[in-house]
Amino acid sequence: AKKMHGKQRPYRTSELARMMYNLTMSPLEVLKKWRGDEDVEEEGSDNEDDFFNKSKEQDPLNEEDRHIPVFNYQALEAKWEDEENIEDLMSRFASGHASGKSGD
Amino acid sequence: MSEETTQSLLQFTGHRHLISRLLLSTLTGRPIRISSIRSSSPTHPGLAPHEISFIRLLDSITNGSSIQFSMTGTTLVYRPGLITGSADGLGATGGVIKHELGRDCARRGVSWWILGLCVLAPFSKSGVNVLFEGEGCVTGAVHGKGGVDVSVDTIRTALLPIYKNFGIERNIELRVLKRSCAPGAGKSAGGEVQLVFNHQVRLPQTLHLLNPGRVKKIRGVAYAVGVSGSNNARVIETARGILNKFVPDTYIFSDVSSAPFVPANEKGNPGGKKKGAVGFGLSLVAESNTYCIYSADVASPPQGGVTPEDIGKQCAYQLLEVISQGGCMEKTAAPTALMLMAMGTEDVGRLALGKDILGSEEVIQLGRDSKVFGGSGWGFRDQTGEKSRGEIVVSVVGRGVGNVGRKIA
Repeated sequence: AKKMHGKQRPYRTSELARMMYNLTMSPLEVLKKWRGDEDVEEEGSDNEDDFFNKSKEQDPLNEEDRHIPVFNYQALEAKWEDEENIEDLMSRFASGHASGKSGD
Repeated sequence: MSEETTQSLLQFTGHRHLISRLLLSTLTGRPIRISSIRSSSPTHPGLAPHEISFIRLLDSITNGSSIQFSMTGTTLVYRPGLITGSADGLGATGGVIKHELGRDCARRGVSWWILGLCVLAPFSKSGVNVLFEGEGCVTGAVHGKGGVDVSVDTIRTALLPIYKNFGIERNIELRVLKRSCAPGAGKSAGGEVQLVFNHQVRLPQTLHLLNPGRVKKIRGVAYAVGVSGSNNARVIETARGILNKFVPDTYIFSDVSSAPFVPANEKGNPGGKKKGAVGFGLSLVAESNTYCIYSADVASPPQGGVTPEDIGKQCAYQLLEVISQGGCMEKTAAPTALMLMAMGTEDVGRLALGKDILGSEEVIQLGRDSKVFGGSGWGFRDQTGEKSRGEIVVSVVGRGVGNVGRKIA
């Protein structure tokens, strides 16, 4: 049962509402859990985790508040060269096919 | 006022989200104490130069604020005063506050100051008119190690328009008087930007923004400072090449200016000037038919070595990515919008946000902070309807705080 419980659907809205004001978790932890990319490092090795977190905090990229998020431009380029993704996004544009279906 | 002195300090820690906390404090009139600011940093403990500069700016547009630092600058106590704006006699001359950004502030773009200032400006007692200048005033986008800021063009074309949704739209202007790019070592920026924000309201209107609509046009500004204008042409060419198949209505303006002169401060040449940093960049803004705005910003790094084609390409892809994140607000604008919603009339405002935008550290922390400042908790529900793209509707109850300054004075 625990296994089932652990594998929650990511990005559940009710889940976020619950965690949002749970002050025992840092925003980063909330995000990780909400997105579901936190795997099996819940328990054990607490000390080690703290240790690693500290060194991560020194990471200059995360040190300051930023207005533009960091993008990996190579990944972005690959993503937006892909026809499927382009088709997917086309429905967000006013040009041409209103239904978002393909058709060049 | 008497209640203000008896109010207990709200406690915060850390240097992150400093601006949003200072803003919330000023808007709600609650004094705050922020401790352990970079206290674990071995080299630069305490407040950074740009943060101190922002606090100075707060001091000059408010009246009666009191700011205390500890010896090391790791603890800050801030008791906000009234937001008076650029009224004569209170630090302003001729209705304009000049805010000089020193060389050490060049790590952040000037947009960092302007973003925060804009949130306060609608609640000011008189108009706000601030001129940013100095060796640390970078108008272009900044992609540094210390932080990443949008260019002033993005502020002008993507951020100021969102105030329209709150019924704040008259006499707002951002003038770029001198362009500048992020300086490398030994260089100075020397840009000049003037923000005029003369539409003050008692309470911002309640926002209901649920339909992101479809992107119908893309505008942009390509800027070249102190380098050949052909860089602009190359940037625009590449960006258009990518975006044209999405939106035929794409138009990118080109702005070429020479590098600003900044005081050289050399021995034996006291009045001497030298050229500031050079560079180029692109700011893109997409607008949907429901007036939702998405933006992207890329600039050449101070050390150079990036072709204009790369800049154009990166910026275009970044714009596509931001559009695909969905929602009615992009990440840059979301905190501003949420803060204004929380300060609005006592009514439930609703805003559809993409999951990755709501699920960002800034937004979550802002939600927590605004609760600490006495706001209500936010409500979430899934966007329903056939047009939904997985957005989440955030409902924020306004506090009706409005114009603290005007109410008391």
